[in-house]
Amino acid sequence: MSLVSFDGVSVSVPVPGQDRKQLLSGIDLRLNEPRIAVIGANGSGKSTLLRLINGLIVPSRGEVTVNGLSTRSQGSKVRRRVGFVFTDPLSQLVMPTGREDVELSLRAGVRDRSSRHAAAERVLADFGLLELADQSIYDLSGGERQLLALATVLAVSPEILVADEPTTLLDLRNGIRIGRLLEELPQQLIFSTHDLDLAARADRILVIDDGKVAYDGGPEAAIGFYRKLASGGVQH
Amino acid sequence: MRGHAHLLGAYVPGQSLLHRAPLWLKFTAVVVLSALVLGLRQLEVTLVVLALVLAAGLLAGLGAGTVLRPFRAMAPVLLVLGAFQWWANGLEVAAVVVLDILTCVLAARLLTLTTTGQRLLDGMVSAAKPFRFLGADPERFGLTLSLMVRSIPYLLGSAVDVRDAAKARGLERSPRALLMPVIINAVAYARQTGEALSARGLGEKHPKQTADAGAKPES
Repeated sequence: MSLVSFDGVSVSVPVPGQDRKQLLSGIDLRLNEPRIAVIGANGSGKSTLLRLINGLIVPSRGEVTVNGLSTRSQGSKVRRRVGFVFTDPLSQLVMPTGREDVELSLRAGVRDRSSRHAAAERVLADFGLLELADQSIYDLSGGERQLLALATVLAVSPEILVADEPTTLLDLRNGIRIGRLLEELPQQLIFSTHDLDLAARADRILVIDDGKVAYDGGPEAAIGFYRKLASGGVQH
Repeated sequence: MRGHAHLLGAYVPGQSLLHRAPLWLKFTAVVVLSALVLGLRQLEVTLVVLALVLAAGLLAGLGAGTVLRPFRAMAPVLLVLGAFQWWANGLEVAAVVVLDILTCVLAARLLTLTTTGQRLLDGMVSAAKPFRFLGADPERFGLTLSLMVRSIPYLLGSAVDVRDAAKARGLERSPRALLMPVIINAVAYARQTGEALSARGLGEKHPKQTADAGAKPES
Protein backbone atom coordinates (compact mmCIF):
# COMPACT_ATOMS: atom_id res chain seq x y z
CA MET A 1 0.00 0.00 0.00
CA SER A 2 1.16 3.54 -0.72
CA LEU A 3 2.30 5.87 1.99
CA VAL A 4 1.09 9.45 2.17
CA SER A 5 2.96 11.57 4.73
CA PHE A 6 2.11 14.96 6.17
CA ASP A 7 4.97 16.54 8.14
CA GLY A 8 4.20 19.71 10.07
CA VAL A 9 1.74 20.83 7.40
CA SER A 10 -0.04 24.17 7.60
CA VAL A 11 -2.04 25.94 4.92
CA SER A 12 -3.01 29.58 5.10
CA VAL A 13 -4.42 31.97 2.52
CA PRO A 14 -4.27 35.76 2.31
CA VAL A 15 -7.43 37.66 3.16
CA PRO A 16 -7.57 41.28 1.91
CA GLY A 17 -7.19 43.73 4.80
CA GLN A 18 -6.82 40.98 7.42
CA ASP A 19 -4.30 38.45 8.73
CA ARG A 20 -3.82 35.29 6.70
CA LYS A 21 -6.62 32.79 7.24
CA GLN A 22 -5.43 29.45 8.60
CA LEU A 23 -7.12 26.57 6.75
CA LEU A 24 -5.04 23.77 8.24
CA SER A 25 -2.39 23.76 10.96
CA GLY A 26 0.05 21.34 12.54
CA ILE A 27 -0.90 18.28 10.52
CA ASP A 28 1.37 15.24 11.03
CA LEU A 29 0.04 12.06 9.48
CA ARG A 30 1.12 8.74 7.99
CA LEU A 31 -1.62 7.35 5.79
CA ASN A 32 -1.13 3.78 4.59
CA GLU A 33 -4.41 1.99 5.28
CA PRO A 34 -6.41 0.82 2.24
CA ARG A 35 -9.54 2.90 3.07
CA ILE A 36 -9.28 6.20 4.92
CA ALA A 37 -12.29 8.45 5.48
CA VAL A 38 -12.08 12.14 6.34
CA ILE A 39 -15.12 13.59 8.11
CA GLY A 40 -15.88 17.00 9.55
CA ALA A 41 -18.17 20.00 9.26
CA ASN A 42 -18.38 22.16 6.15
CA GLY A 43 -15.39 24.50 6.07
CA SER A 44 -13.42 22.42 8.56
CA GLY A 45 -10.53 21.80 6.13
CA LYS A 46 -11.39 18.37 4.68
CA SER A 47 -11.11 19.43 1.03
CA THR A 48 -7.88 21.33 1.70
CA LEU A 49 -6.39 18.21 3.30
CA LEU A 50 -7.36 16.07 0.30
CA ARG A 51 -6.12 18.61 -2.26
CA LEU A 52 -2.72 18.56 -0.61
CA ILE A 53 -2.35 14.87 -1.43
CA ASN A 54 -2.13 15.25 -5.19
CA GLY A 55 -0.50 18.65 -5.10
CA LEU A 56 -3.54 20.66 -6.20
CA ILE A 57 -2.40 22.96 -3.43
CA VAL A 58 0.98 22.97 -1.74
CA PRO A 59 1.43 23.58 2.01
CA SER A 60 2.36 27.03 3.29
CA ARG A 61 4.56 25.20 5.81
CA GLY A 62 5.75 21.62 6.08
CA GLU A 63 5.72 18.93 3.44
CA VAL A 64 3.40 16.36 1.93
CA THR A 65 4.95 13.31 0.25
CA VAL A 66 3.47 10.37 -1.62
CA ASN A 67 5.75 7.33 -1.59
CA GLY A 68 8.63 9.72 -0.95
CA LEU A 69 7.72 12.13 -3.78
CA SER A 70 7.21 15.71 -2.67
CA THR A 71 3.98 17.32 -3.87
CA ARG A 72 5.85 20.64 -3.86
CA SER A 73 8.77 19.80 -6.10
CA GLN A 74 7.53 16.67 -7.91
CA GLY A 75 3.88 17.57 -8.36
CA SER A 76 3.48 16.17 -11.86
CA LYS A 77 4.97 12.81 -10.80
CA VAL A 78 2.65 12.74 -7.80
CA ARG A 79 -0.41 13.51 -9.96
CA ARG A 80 0.40 10.59 -12.24
CA ARG A 81 0.10 8.34 -9.17
CA VAL A 82 -2.77 10.03 -7.36
CA GLY A 83 -6.18 10.35 -9.03
CA PHE A 84 -8.61 12.96 -7.74
CA VAL A 85 -12.41 12.87 -7.93
CA PHE A 86 -14.30 16.11 -7.28
CA THR A 87 -17.68 16.42 -5.54
CA ASP A 88 -19.30 17.80 -8.69
CA PRO A 89 -18.42 15.68 -11.72
CA LEU A 90 -19.11 18.63 -14.02
CA SER A 91 -16.08 20.31 -12.42
CA GLN A 92 -14.02 17.41 -13.59
CA LEU A 93 -15.30 16.47 -17.03
CA VAL A 94 -13.75 18.81 -19.57
CA MET A 95 -14.87 17.23 -22.86
CA PRO A 96 -18.38 17.22 -24.35
CA THR A 97 -18.88 13.43 -24.21
CA GLY A 98 -17.74 10.60 -21.96
CA ARG A 99 -15.79 8.85 -24.69
CA GLU A 100 -13.80 12.00 -25.46
CA ASP A 101 -13.10 12.63 -21.80
CA VAL A 102 -11.80 9.10 -21.20
CA GLU A 103 -9.66 9.37 -24.35
CA LEU A 104 -8.30 12.67 -23.07
CA SER A 105 -7.20 10.95 -19.85
CA LEU A 106 -5.42 8.31 -21.90
CA ARG A 107 -3.61 10.73 -24.26
CA ALA A 108 -0.44 10.99 -22.18
CA GLY A 109 0.01 7.22 -21.95
CA VAL A 110 -1.38 5.92 -25.24
CA ARG A 111 -0.14 7.92 -28.22
CA ASP A 112 -1.64 5.79 -31.00
CA ARG A 113 -5.18 6.95 -31.82
CA SER A 114 -6.74 3.54 -32.51
CA SER A 115 -5.15 1.96 -29.41
CA ARG A 116 -6.41 4.88 -27.36
CA HIS A 117 -9.89 4.48 -28.79
CA ALA A 118 -9.88 0.76 -27.98
CA ALA A 119 -8.59 1.41 -24.45
CA ALA A 120 -11.33 4.00 -23.88
CA GLU A 121 -13.96 1.47 -25.08
CA ARG A 122 -12.67 -1.05 -22.54
CA VAL A 123 -12.76 1.48 -19.69
CA LEU A 124 -16.28 2.62 -20.60
CA ALA A 125 -17.47 -0.99 -20.89
CA ASP A 126 -15.95 -1.85 -17.49
CA PHE A 127 -17.98 0.93 -15.91
CA GLY A 128 -21.16 0.05 -17.86
CA LEU A 129 -21.03 3.38 -19.67
CA LEU A 130 -20.52 2.26 -23.26
CA GLU A 131 -24.09 3.03 -24.31
CA LEU A 132 -23.80 6.54 -22.90
CA ALA A 133 -20.32 7.17 -24.29
CA ASP A 134 -21.39 9.54 -27.07
CA GLN A 135 -24.07 11.40 -25.15
CA SER A 136 -23.42 14.95 -24.00
CA ILE A 137 -22.21 14.97 -20.39
CA TYR A 138 -25.09 17.38 -19.70
CA ASP A 139 -27.63 14.74 -20.72
CA LEU A 140 -26.35 12.20 -18.17
CA SER A 141 -27.89 11.78 -14.71
CA GLY A 142 -25.90 12.79 -11.63
CA GLY A 143 -25.04 9.15 -10.89
CA GLU A 144 -23.92 8.50 -14.46
CA ARG A 145 -21.76 11.64 -14.42
CA GLN A 146 -20.06 10.64 -11.17
CA LEU A 147 -19.47 7.16 -12.55
CA LEU A 148 -17.97 8.71 -15.68
CA ALA A 149 -15.78 11.03 -13.59
CA LEU A 150 -14.48 7.98 -11.73
CA ALA A 151 -13.90 6.18 -15.04
CA THR A 152 -11.86 9.09 -16.44
CA VAL A 153 -9.63 9.09 -13.35
CA LEU A 154 -9.28 5.31 -13.03
CA ALA A 155 -8.58 4.94 -16.78
CA VAL A 156 -4.94 5.75 -16.07
CA SER A 157 -4.71 3.30 -13.12
CA PRO A 158 -3.54 5.61 -10.33
CA GLU A 159 -2.01 4.01 -7.23
CA ILE A 160 -4.13 6.15 -4.91
CA LEU A 161 -7.61 7.55 -5.41
CA VAL A 162 -8.57 10.71 -3.53
CA ALA A 163 -12.28 11.52 -3.61
CA ASP A 164 -13.73 14.74 -2.23
CA GLU A 165 -17.29 13.99 -1.08
CA PRO A 166 -18.00 11.71 -4.06
CA THR A 167 -21.58 10.91 -3.01
CA THR A 168 -22.75 14.26 -1.66
CA LEU A 169 -24.66 15.31 -4.80
CA LEU A 170 -26.17 11.89 -5.43
CA ASP A 171 -29.53 10.38 -4.49
CA LEU A 172 -29.59 7.42 -2.13
CA ARG A 173 -29.49 4.73 -4.84
CA ASN A 174 -26.61 6.32 -6.75
CA GLY A 175 -24.79 7.12 -3.51
CA ILE A 176 -24.90 3.44 -2.53
CA ARG A 177 -23.83 2.40 -6.05
CA ILE A 178 -20.79 4.73 -6.08
CA GLY A 179 -19.98 3.82 -2.46
CA ARG A 180 -19.90 0.10 -3.35
CA LEU A 181 -17.75 0.76 -6.40
CA LEU A 182 -15.26 2.74 -4.31
CA GLU A 183 -15.11 -0.05 -1.72
CA GLU A 184 -14.22 -2.62 -4.37
CA LEU A 185 -11.36 -0.64 -5.92
CA PRO A 186 -7.90 -2.19 -5.68
CA GLN A 187 -6.36 1.26 -5.14
CA GLN A 188 -5.75 2.92 -1.81
CA LEU A 189 -8.74 5.21 -1.25
CA ILE A 190 -8.76 8.42 0.76
CA PHE A 191 -12.13 10.16 0.74
CA SER A 192 -14.09 12.83 2.55
CA THR A 193 -17.78 12.38 3.19
CA HIS A 194 -20.79 13.48 5.21
CA ASP A 195 -22.25 9.99 4.81
CA LEU A 196 -21.37 8.34 8.10
CA ASP A 197 -22.51 4.90 6.85
CA LEU A 198 -19.95 5.16 4.06
CA ALA A 199 -17.28 6.43 6.47
CA ALA A 200 -18.01 3.56 8.86
CA ARG A 201 -16.74 1.06 6.28
CA ALA A 202 -13.28 2.69 6.19
CA ASP A 203 -10.26 1.23 8.00
CA ARG A 204 -9.41 4.55 9.60
CA ILE A 205 -11.21 7.85 10.05
CA LEU A 206 -9.76 11.33 10.49
CA VAL A 207 -12.10 13.85 12.09
CA ILE A 208 -11.16 17.36 11.01
CA ASP A 209 -12.29 20.33 13.02
CA ASP A 210 -11.21 23.94 12.61
CA GLY A 211 -8.20 23.02 10.46
CA LYS A 212 -6.83 20.38 12.82
CA VAL A 213 -7.08 16.62 13.15
CA ALA A 214 -9.43 16.40 16.13
CA TYR A 215 -9.57 12.60 16.17
CA ASP A 216 -7.73 9.85 14.34
CA GLY A 217 -8.74 6.25 14.82
CA GLY A 218 -11.07 3.37 14.06
CA PRO A 219 -14.53 3.98 12.58
CA GLU A 220 -16.72 3.35 15.60
CA ALA A 221 -14.79 5.55 18.01
CA ALA A 222 -14.20 8.27 15.40
CA ILE A 223 -17.87 8.50 14.42
CA GLY A 224 -18.85 8.56 18.09
CA PHE A 225 -16.39 11.41 18.65
CA TYR A 226 -17.71 13.30 15.61
CA ARG A 227 -21.33 12.97 16.72
CA LYS A 228 -20.36 14.40 20.12
CA LEU A 229 -18.34 17.17 18.45
CA ALA A 230 -21.22 18.11 16.14
CA SER A 231 -23.66 18.29 19.04
CA GLY A 232 -21.29 20.51 21.02
CA GLY A 233 -20.36 17.83 23.53
CA VAL A 234 -16.59 18.06 22.99
CA GLN A 235 -14.62 20.77 24.73
CA HIS A 236 -11.81 22.40 22.68
CA MET B 1 -25.75 24.92 -15.59
CA ARG B 2 -27.07 23.96 -18.97
CA GLY B 3 -24.74 22.97 -21.75
CA HIS B 4 -25.61 24.78 -24.96
CA ALA B 5 -23.76 22.64 -27.43
CA HIS B 6 -25.95 23.51 -30.40
CA LEU B 7 -24.02 26.41 -31.96
CA LEU B 8 -20.86 24.54 -32.89
CA GLY B 9 -22.33 21.10 -32.30
CA ALA B 10 -21.23 18.05 -30.38
CA TYR B 11 -20.11 15.03 -32.41
CA VAL B 12 -22.90 12.87 -33.84
CA PRO B 13 -21.62 9.32 -34.43
CA GLY B 14 -22.00 7.99 -37.98
CA GLN B 15 -20.31 6.18 -40.85
CA SER B 16 -21.09 8.60 -43.70
CA LEU B 17 -18.54 9.80 -46.24
CA LEU B 18 -18.37 13.08 -44.34
CA HIS B 19 -17.71 11.26 -41.06
CA ARG B 20 -14.94 9.24 -42.66
CA ALA B 21 -13.33 12.09 -44.62
CA PRO B 22 -9.91 13.17 -43.34
CA LEU B 23 -9.90 16.16 -41.03
CA TRP B 24 -7.57 18.18 -43.26
CA LEU B 25 -10.01 17.81 -46.18
CA LYS B 26 -13.00 18.90 -44.12
CA PHE B 27 -11.07 21.80 -42.65
CA THR B 28 -9.87 22.92 -46.10
CA ALA B 29 -13.44 22.70 -47.44
CA VAL B 30 -14.72 24.91 -44.59
CA VAL B 31 -11.99 27.49 -45.22
CA VAL B 32 -12.44 27.49 -49.01
CA LEU B 33 -16.24 27.68 -48.89
CA SER B 34 -16.16 30.42 -46.24
CA ALA B 35 -13.58 32.39 -48.24
CA LEU B 36 -15.69 31.94 -51.36
CA VAL B 37 -18.91 33.35 -49.89
CA LEU B 38 -17.20 36.09 -47.87
CA GLY B 39 -14.87 37.05 -50.72
CA LEU B 40 -17.32 37.13 -53.62
CA ARG B 41 -20.40 38.40 -51.73
CA GLN B 42 -22.79 37.35 -54.46
CA LEU B 43 -26.23 36.05 -53.59
CA GLU B 44 -26.13 33.31 -56.25
CA VAL B 45 -22.77 31.96 -54.98
CA THR B 46 -23.93 32.08 -51.36
CA LEU B 47 -27.15 30.24 -52.18
CA VAL B 48 -25.26 27.52 -54.07
CA VAL B 49 -22.73 27.05 -51.23
CA LEU B 50 -25.50 27.07 -48.61
CA ALA B 51 -27.39 24.42 -50.61
CA LEU B 52 -24.18 22.35 -50.84
CA VAL B 53 -23.59 22.59 -47.09
CA LEU B 54 -27.18 21.64 -46.29
CA ALA B 55 -27.08 18.75 -48.75
CA ALA B 56 -23.80 17.49 -47.26
CA GLY B 57 -25.33 17.58 -43.80
CA LEU B 58 -28.43 15.69 -44.88
CA LEU B 59 -26.37 13.12 -46.82
CA ALA B 60 -24.27 12.59 -43.68
CA GLY B 61 -27.49 11.49 -41.98
CA LEU B 62 -27.51 14.37 -39.54
CA GLY B 63 -31.14 15.40 -40.16
CA ALA B 64 -32.48 18.87 -40.89
CA GLY B 65 -33.24 19.54 -37.23
CA THR B 66 -29.66 18.85 -36.15
CA VAL B 67 -28.07 20.81 -38.99
CA LEU B 68 -30.31 23.85 -38.61
CA ARG B 69 -30.51 23.94 -34.80
CA PRO B 70 -28.15 26.92 -34.39
CA PHE B 71 -30.43 28.99 -36.62
CA ARG B 72 -32.88 29.45 -33.73
CA ALA B 73 -30.12 30.71 -31.41
CA MET B 74 -28.71 33.00 -34.09
CA ALA B 75 -32.07 34.26 -35.41
CA PRO B 76 -32.39 37.38 -33.18
CA VAL B 77 -28.87 38.59 -34.07
CA LEU B 78 -29.30 37.78 -37.76
CA LEU B 79 -32.69 39.55 -37.83
CA VAL B 80 -31.27 42.73 -36.30
CA LEU B 81 -28.25 42.59 -38.59
CA GLY B 82 -30.40 41.89 -41.63
CA ALA B 83 -32.82 44.70 -40.80
CA PHE B 84 -29.96 47.17 -40.40
CA GLN B 85 -28.32 46.09 -43.68
CA TRP B 86 -31.65 46.31 -45.49
CA TRP B 87 -32.14 49.85 -44.18
CA ALA B 88 -28.54 50.88 -44.93
CA ASN B 89 -27.67 48.95 -48.10
CA GLY B 90 -30.78 47.34 -49.53
CA LEU B 91 -32.43 43.95 -49.50
CA GLU B 92 -29.86 42.04 -51.59
CA VAL B 93 -26.89 43.10 -49.42
CA ALA B 94 -28.87 42.23 -46.29
CA ALA B 95 -29.65 38.78 -47.69
CA VAL B 96 -26.00 38.21 -48.66
CA VAL B 97 -24.65 39.27 -45.24
CA VAL B 98 -27.12 37.15 -43.28
CA LEU B 99 -26.80 34.09 -45.52
CA ASP B 100 -22.98 34.37 -45.57
CA ILE B 101 -22.82 34.20 -41.77
CA LEU B 102 -25.30 31.35 -41.67
CA THR B 103 -23.36 29.43 -44.35
CA CYS B 104 -20.02 29.81 -42.52
CA VAL B 105 -21.51 28.72 -39.17
CA LEU B 106 -23.27 25.74 -40.74
CA ALA B 107 -20.10 24.66 -42.61
CA ALA B 108 -18.05 24.83 -39.38
CA ARG B 109 -20.85 23.00 -37.59
CA LEU B 110 -20.76 20.15 -40.10
CA LEU B 111 -17.07 19.72 -39.32
CA THR B 112 -17.63 19.48 -35.57
CA LEU B 113 -20.75 17.32 -35.92
CA THR B 114 -18.86 14.73 -37.98
CA THR B 115 -15.47 14.81 -36.23
CA THR B 116 -14.78 13.48 -32.74
CA GLY B 117 -13.20 15.86 -30.26
CA GLN B 118 -10.14 13.63 -30.07
CA ARG B 119 -9.63 13.78 -33.86
CA LEU B 120 -9.97 17.56 -33.72
CA LEU B 121 -7.46 17.61 -30.88
CA ASP B 122 -5.07 15.34 -32.82
CA GLY B 123 -5.44 17.64 -35.84
CA MET B 124 -4.65 20.74 -33.82
CA VAL B 125 -1.67 19.03 -32.23
CA SER B 126 -0.37 18.08 -35.70
CA ALA B 127 -0.94 21.63 -36.96
CA ALA B 128 1.14 23.01 -34.09
CA LYS B 129 4.06 20.59 -34.55
CA PRO B 130 5.95 22.81 -37.05
CA PHE B 131 6.15 25.48 -34.31
CA ARG B 132 8.09 23.23 -31.93
CA PHE B 133 11.31 25.00 -32.88
CA LEU B 134 9.85 28.17 -31.35
CA GLY B 135 9.31 26.32 -28.08
CA ALA B 136 5.61 25.57 -28.66
CA ASP B 137 4.17 22.48 -27.00
CA PRO B 138 1.74 20.98 -29.56
CA GLU B 139 -0.19 18.95 -26.94
CA ARG B 140 -0.81 22.03 -24.84
CA PHE B 141 -1.72 24.07 -27.92
CA GLY B 142 -4.26 21.45 -29.04
CA LEU B 143 -5.69 21.06 -25.55
CA THR B 144 -6.05 24.84 -25.17
CA LEU B 145 -7.91 25.17 -28.47
CA SER B 146 -10.24 22.25 -27.75
CA LEU B 147 -11.02 23.66 -24.32
CA MET B 148 -11.77 27.01 -25.96
CA VAL B 149 -14.21 25.34 -28.36
CA ARG B 150 -15.74 23.37 -25.48
CA SER B 151 -16.12 26.55 -23.41
CA ILE B 152 -18.33 28.38 -25.90
CA PRO B 153 -21.49 26.34 -25.31
CA TYR B 154 -20.85 26.39 -21.55
CA LEU B 155 -20.58 30.17 -21.48
CA LEU B 156 -23.67 30.54 -23.68
CA GLY B 157 -25.50 28.32 -21.21
CA SER B 158 -24.26 30.48 -18.36
CA ALA B 159 -25.57 33.62 -20.11
CA VAL B 160 -29.01 32.03 -20.60
CA ASP B 161 -29.14 30.90 -16.95
CA VAL B 162 -28.15 34.37 -15.73
CA ARG B 163 -30.79 35.98 -17.97
CA ASP B 164 -33.46 33.60 -16.57
CA ALA B 165 -32.35 34.30 -12.99
CA ALA B 166 -32.44 38.08 -13.63
CA LYS B 167 -35.90 37.75 -15.21
CA ALA B 168 -37.16 35.77 -12.19
CA ARG B 169 -36.10 38.68 -9.96
CA GLY B 170 -37.52 41.35 -12.30
CA LEU B 171 -34.01 42.54 -13.21
CA GLU B 172 -34.03 41.70 -16.92
CA ARG B 173 -33.39 45.35 -17.84
CA SER B 174 -30.39 45.74 -15.52
CA PRO B 175 -27.11 45.43 -17.49
CA ARG B 176 -25.27 44.87 -14.19
CA ALA B 177 -27.50 41.97 -13.19
CA LEU B 178 -27.02 40.43 -16.63
CA LEU B 179 -23.32 41.09 -17.18
CA MET B 180 -21.59 40.71 -13.80
CA PRO B 181 -22.72 37.13 -13.05
CA VAL B 182 -21.69 36.03 -16.57
CA ILE B 183 -18.19 37.46 -16.04
CA ILE B 184 -17.92 35.91 -12.56
CA ASN B 185 -19.16 32.56 -13.90
CA ALA B 186 -16.62 32.72 -16.74
CA VAL B 187 -13.74 33.35 -14.33
CA ALA B 188 -14.96 30.61 -11.97
CA TYR B 189 -15.32 28.23 -14.92
CA ALA B 190 -11.77 28.97 -16.08
CA ARG B 191 -10.40 28.31 -12.58
CA GLN B 192 -12.46 25.15 -12.21
CA THR B 193 -11.29 23.83 -15.59
CA GLY B 194 -7.68 24.61 -14.71
CA GLU B 195 -8.05 22.77 -11.43
CA ALA B 196 -9.65 19.77 -13.14
CA LEU B 197 -6.80 19.63 -15.64
CA SER B 198 -4.18 19.92 -12.88
CA ALA B 199 -5.85 17.19 -10.82
CA ARG B 200 -5.66 14.84 -13.79
CA GLY B 201 -2.14 15.86 -14.73
CA LEU B 202 -3.38 17.10 -18.13
CA GLY B 203 -1.52 19.85 -19.93
CA GLU B 204 1.59 19.16 -17.89
CA LYS B 205 4.86 18.49 -19.61
CA HIS B 206 5.35 15.01 -20.98
CA PRO B 207 7.31 12.80 -18.52
CA LYS B 208 10.38 12.85 -20.78
CA GLN B 209 10.35 16.64 -20.79
CA THR B 210 9.79 17.00 -17.05
CA ALA B 211 12.68 18.44 -15.13
CA ASP B 212 12.47 18.38 -11.36
CA ALA B 213 12.47 21.91 -10.12
CA GLY B 214 14.22 21.27 -6.80
CA ALA B 215 12.33 22.90 -3.99
CA LYS B 216 10.47 25.30 -6.24
CA PRO B 217 6.69 24.90 -5.95
CA GLU B 218 5.03 23.89 -9.21
CA SER B 219 1.73 25.55 -8.59
